[in-house]
Amino acid sequence: MKISKEKFGQAFDALVAEYQIIAPVITDGDVNYKAVKSFSEVKQNYLNSKLPPKSFLFPQHEKLLSYKKEGKDVTVKNELKVEKTILFGIRPCDAKSMLLLDKVFKNDEYRDPYYYERRDNSIIIGIACNKIAPTCFCSSMGISPASSKGSDIFLVDLGNSYHVEIITEKGKALTAGLQELAELTAEEQALVNTIKSAETPSKVDVSTITAKLDKMFDHPYWDTLHEKCLSCNACSFSCPTCHCFDISEEVHKNEGSRVRTWDGCMAPLFTLHGSGHNPRDKKKARWRQRMLHKFNYFVHNNGDIACVGCGRCIKSCPVNMDIRQAIDGVNKAELVVD
Amino acid sequence: MSMGECQVNTETKGFQPKIVAFLCNWCSYAGADLAGVGRFQYPATIRTIRVPCSGRINPLYILKAMANGADGVLISGCHPGDCHYMSGNYVARRKFALIDSLLKHVGLEEGRVSFSWVSAAEGVRFAEVVKGVTERVTALGPNNGVFKVEDGGGTNE
Amino acid sequence: MNSIIDDIRKTARQLLTEGKVDVVIGYEKGSLPLKATPCFVRSPQDVDKLIWDQTCENNLAAFVAKTLGKKAIIAKGCDSRALMVLIQENQVVRDDLYIIGVSCQGVIDQRKIEAETGEIIGASITDEKISVQGMECDKEYSFTDVKDVTCQTCRYPNPVLEDVHIGGSIEVPEQATLFADVIDMENKSDNERKAYFKEQMSKCIRCYACRNVCPLCYCQECFVDCNSPKWLTGGVDSAENLLFQTGRALHLAGRCVECGACSRACPQGVDIRALSRKVNKDVKEMYNHESGLTEEVKPALNVYSTDDPEAFLVKE
Repeated sequence: MKISKEKFGQAFDALVAEYQIIAPVITDGDVNYKAVKSFSEVKQNYLNSKLPPKSFLFPQHEKLLSYKKEGKDVTVKNELKVEKTILFGIRPCDAKSMLLLDKVFKNDEYRDPYYYERRDNSIIIGIACNKIAPTCFCSSMGISPASSKGSDIFLVDLGNSYHVEIITEKGKALTAGLQELAELTAEEQALVNTIKSAETPSKVDVSTITAKLDKMFDHPYWDTLHEKCLSCNACSFSCPTCHCFDISEEVHKNEGSRVRTWDGCMAPLFTLHGSGHNPRDKKKARWRQRMLHKFNYFVHNNGDIACVGCGRCIKSCPVNMDIRQAIDGVNKAELVVD
Repeated sequence: MSMGECQVNTETKGFQPKIVAFLCNWCSYAGADLAGVGRFQYPATIRTIRVPCSGRINPLYILKAMANGADGVLISGCHPGDCHYMSGNYVARRKFALIDSLLKHVGLEEGRVSFSWVSAAEGVRFAEVVKGVTERVTALGPNNGVFKVEDGGGTNE
Repeated sequence: MNSIIDDIRKTARQLLTEGKVDVVIGYEKGSLPLKATPCFVRSPQDVDKLIWDQTCENNLAAFVAKTLGKKAIIAKGCDSRALMVLIQENQVVRDDLYIIGVSCQGVIDQRKIEAETGEIIGASITDEKISVQGMECDKEYSFTDVKDVTCQTCRYPNPVLEDVHIGGSIEVPEQATLFADVIDMENKSDNERKAYFKEQMSKCIRCYACRNVCPLCYCQECFVDCNSPKWLTGGVDSAENLLFQTGRALHLAGRCVECGACSRACPQGVDIRALSRKVNKDVKEMYNHESGLTEEVKPALNVYSTDDPEAFLVKE
């Protein structure tokens, strides 16, 4: 089924009254997700956003609660503010990343309200990638440039119209009022088929990486992998699946707040203990940790690789550390037989 | 001098600025003390922080004071050549020149951050300096500028 | 260029074979088009990885203090100045370094290219021409069109400190006005500058790539990591970001060598140089000092004169 972009825009604008709509917007040459008031503000025909949309589920800096002491009384206020939200124009890699974040923040054992309240109140309108960048390698990560995994509604851009697929009940509820759907022409169907069968030219082999890494903790491969890394957090902060955070108290006299901020395992002080001991003060340990966490620990703990192949880390790294090369390096590393 | 005469005219703005004053122990702090002993009145807008020497001033003190909501910052040390530690204020002088220039460059209003050399004998002059600084900061209004952390975080003192 | 690459490889091979150094820090081809990446060559067989062209944009001096043993390093003009400052500040032992100096034409600004061609799929450099195939379009550029903004006004392309020089020297044309970009900014109104910096700082995500890529940011505990006192809260609003950037620019006062690595490293394209350029202009005008040129002239904030300017004083 398809809908003209004009009709879609009208429906979009009507939803602005009820929902906070987050969509890709271009500012100064860079595309990023921002709140919009109209479909006319939405950027079309771009590769992918600079930063992933994870900050709308997991903000970089959020107040969890605030407290105030007056005499002997202490009042505590929950600072969680949630709005009904539509996340529009989410690519398959970013949609999959939200499923991975769910495993951390919204699982049987632990439910983080600051995440799941936002998650439960968000509807994801995904869109297929019509153009694939040389740094994308999602086809090796269990999805494809047109995968609808993680989306509630999935669109394919046909130029003047969108091909629309309802994926979940949430998506169905949102589109219940849409009357203007039409059938695809044969040409349009062919276009959809082409887009849906596309694969990223760049690929890596992760079929055996988890098992390999099980045996590689003390491998000499880690001795040289890390050398040019600068230990900044450009990769962690651009990554849609990275989710480490720090919690701190901002207190002034009798009032304050508890704040959660992003943190990254590449930073030298990430694992600094209160005692002063730092188990990962060497870069070698930190790069090993990055690879093991994404391709081994997360698989063992949550059943999936914590990478969606979006390529943002490769593009943002100032010294061109390339995770695809690291994966190849692990695959090629010769295991030392004890 | 009566109490009424030396109040700075805050009628137009109606607000009392909070100015953090970093005073070097040997000269400026002593000068401020002399102003107190001699009953040379000056507006009660400064909150004094005593440092051993103006050379101790870390540029971050100034930035953080602004971030925390201070309306103005005053840094005062010994006259060059008179530093108790011989060269502390010479080193500071270079720092202050660069800090002052860069802060103006990023859009901080002129007059929010002020520097002076006040000696231990200059009680009257200290009062004059504080009056002048207070006037200028009051005219600028409350700190809503480039470094103020929007989330709040300042004290309600 | 080709003979320079051969000479670099020959020198590296010789140094490693003779055991004069444990490692050669240089550049190799990166995994992305028009991108070189730092490389650490430890055996003579690997020297053919080393390259040299206008994509060699990192400042390798950032790696010397952390690399153990005796090291050779490929140094452009700005890199050698950074090494000079590091030696002055006792972060690196001169005898552990073998500096392979190469005069630098400047490096490419990929962002400028990508703004027109979209993400770069492939590229080749021949003489002074750069051919690019991009996601949006293909284009050919002459190198001067896409030279990094720092390199456009560079006055020290020839290394100031080296053990061997590869290739020729580059003559620097006289510049009519130094720091023209800063003067432009100074001439804007206060409000315009305030708005500009606020806009730039709102892009910053505090990844600290700028700090980490800088060879002169080497503090064991940076002020951003300090918990007592806590200078930064971790919030990423433009006010806090400005505190970080201004604090860093002031910490680099009299030391920054203007290699431009910070602005190039920023994943968000923040104009980080704007602050350090202003400080460098002030240091040049007030104290007639440029960092890292000779070993005898100490960094500007390590010395003083009895008649330093004091225009910043209150009028009372």
